[in-house]
Amino acid sequence: MSRALDAARQHDLSTVVDTRHVIVCTGPGGVGKTTTAASLALGAAARGRRTIVLTIDPARRLAQSLGLGKLDNQPRPVKGVDGLDAMMLDMKRTFDEVIDRHASDPARAQRIKTNRFYRQMSGSLAGTQEYMAMEKLYDLHSTGGYDCIVIDTPPTRNALDFLDAPRRLTDFLEGRFLKMFLAPGMAAGKLATRAAGFGAGLFMRAASRLTGQAVLGDLAEFFQSFEGMYDGFKNRAQAVYHLLQQPTSAFVVVATGEVPALREARFFLQRLESDGMPTAGLVVNRVTPPPPAGLAAVTPQAARAAAATLEQDGPESRAAAALLRLHAGRVEVAQRERHAIAAALHGIDPRALVQVPLMATDVYDLPGLTAIGQHLYS
Amino acid sequence: MATGAVPAEGGGYTGPVETSALLDPRLLIVTGKGGVGKSTVAAAVALASARQGARTCLVEVEGRHIFSRLFDTQAWDFTEREFRSGLWGMSIDPEASLREYLDMFYGARRLSRLVASSSAVEFATTAAPGIKDVLLIGKAKELERRRNPDGRFCYDLVVLDAPPTGRIVNFLRAPDVTTELVNVGPIRQQAQSLIDMLSDHRRTNLLLVTMLEEMPVAETLDSAAALRGLGVAIGPVLVNRVLAERTDKAASKAMAELSAADLQALLVTAGVELDAEAATALLDAGAASTKRLQLQRRQRNQLGKQLQVPTLELPYVYSERFSADELGILASVIERAVEG
Repeated sequence: MSRALDAARQHDLSTVVDTRHVIVCTGPGGVGKTTTAASLALGAAARGRRTIVLTIDPARRLAQSLGLGKLDNQPRPVKGVDGLDAMMLDMKRTFDEVIDRHASDPARAQRIKTNRFYRQMSGSLAGTQEYMAMEKLYDLHSTGGYDCIVIDTPPTRNALDFLDAPRRLTDFLEGRFLKMFLAPGMAAGKLATRAAGFGAGLFMRAASRLTGQAVLGDLAEFFQSFEGMYDGFKNRAQAVYHLLQQPTSAFVVVATGEVPALREARFFLQRLESDGMPTAGLVVNRVTPPPPAGLAAVTPQAARAAAATLEQDGPESRAAAALLRLHAGRVEVAQRERHAIAAALHGIDPRALVQVPLMATDVYDLPGLTAIGQHLYS
Repeated sequence: MATGAVPAEGGGYTGPVETSALLDPRLLIVTGKGGVGKSTVAAAVALASARQGARTCLVEVEGRHIFSRLFDTQAWDFTEREFRSGLWGMSIDPEASLREYLDMFYGARRLSRLVASSSAVEFATTAAPGIKDVLLIGKAKELERRRNPDGRFCYDLVVLDAPPTGRIVNFLRAPDVTTELVNVGPIRQQAQSLIDMLSDHRRTNLLLVTMLEEMPVAETLDSAAALRGLGVAIGPVLVNRVLAERTDKAASKAMAELSAADLQALLVTAGVELDAEAATALLDAGAASTKRLQLQRRQRNQLGKQLQVPTLELPYVYSERFSADELGILASVIERAVEG
């Protein structure tokens, strides 16, 4: 085991919930990001900091326990927890707000919002969810008056999209492709045959053969309405990126002990490093804890052999045999997870490594979140 | 012998697909909440199908390289390769699909080169509403429809490891979105042919993968409701990582009543010496496991009551690593189910 890993095991996320202003929980889908974010927020609030947890798509019962009955983009106080608000991101509404903010006049904003492409795109454009989460984060940072903002990122394919999306979205919106549509002659939805040059003309002819002209007209109108808004988008994306790089921010990478989840966690830790983002720790959820010393001395093989001799006797002996077999399985799983964690962190310093054991019941209420918190920050 | 899904009157909801008919459709779209083992189960389904003698193609769409690692092969790409007897694998990426599509339908090498060189590709594959997903499903359809020179289908079954449940509705709706935006032309025709494939219950079934835990079950129920609204037939639900039930009731009862001292004494007779702390820890582990089994039973009831779709349970595999051998265990369970 590497020294960095040993050192990381000695640290938890106490100082993170004590001091950081922005905490971003990231990682692959289904590893307990939202639960971890909610638990961290609970910890920050318990320390007297005015806190909000911004979540993208929480499981229904978790949302209920946080008092989030509906998806309405408004911070709501969490019942029973002083100083803690929670909020669920409404993508569409946030996108609309962005358009309202950046559009030069209300008429133009209205034109965009009623465009067919916009209505489809605001829900499905790759990276929109990430961009909107960032938007909202910045909004809460600059106007919310919170000491601590905890956000859980959307379950993206490889978690990197969260960092790339704003840049990709702005690159795309001001890209070359776009210029074809913005070429003179497109204004009335007509095809540009000459003005945008040969390549664009050929492309537009081909495109219209594939889709019909009406679509291109809609698309052109959409992009034209966006003209002049790109700078606003771009500046905002840069500001958020800069905010995340500050030492007052913290990235918490979340995974489980399964190999694919840990592999993605590794990838993301590397990426945070190369982007100069402040990594605060790796949380591995649902792990099987190693048995205490006296029990660890019993190897899986020895446990199974002993179980075999107890199998034939009365119920109590058979119960003991079942416990031995359970022990054997747990030792093997603990081993598999330990190896997977060590392999994923080879050559990487995660700062803090927190392993949260699999709870006997599912976590979806405040006591459950508090129990998780005991492992994250004690 | 089950007959597969039967379209209900008025479309929409379809009758249940028996587990014995799990492998009967031509395209299986596998989805599930993140973390439930969706890709592992997709691989096990494909392996079971190939072992049953069906020519099977396993397809990944998110470039996560899970299958090449699981089967210990070279990295997968846009070329299908037979890596087990009767089992092919490929990784679809939208850009390659777009190029292939343009080449095939328009013979337009010049056009496709132009498109590939411009940021139009970026637009089509990442930004345009649903286009990326239409391209991915389009490639799946090409595999599903492809015929040998003798007229028979090239593949008996295509298994698509689809995006997780959080994105599956948008994924499957992509062809509809396209037809809403595009009223005429070949793109519309292509999108319509995908809708036809997805809503044909004999051709396409959707397999939901879940675990017997609160959140995965809740998400499965939500997804099933949304997917029925789309008119996609839902095949048997595959329940992954099911802990073995304790069949020995008398022993379970005895376990709950055992004291640490009792346990120490029993284990000594089998040659295992534990101190009091270790015996207590072992009993605690037993009690936690009992709780998880109760939770599992509650969720099984919940799923059965609310979903009314046959389920197939796959065992939790205890091992030091999960590899092709462990996958074989899951595939065997699926094979037994389809053999009836």
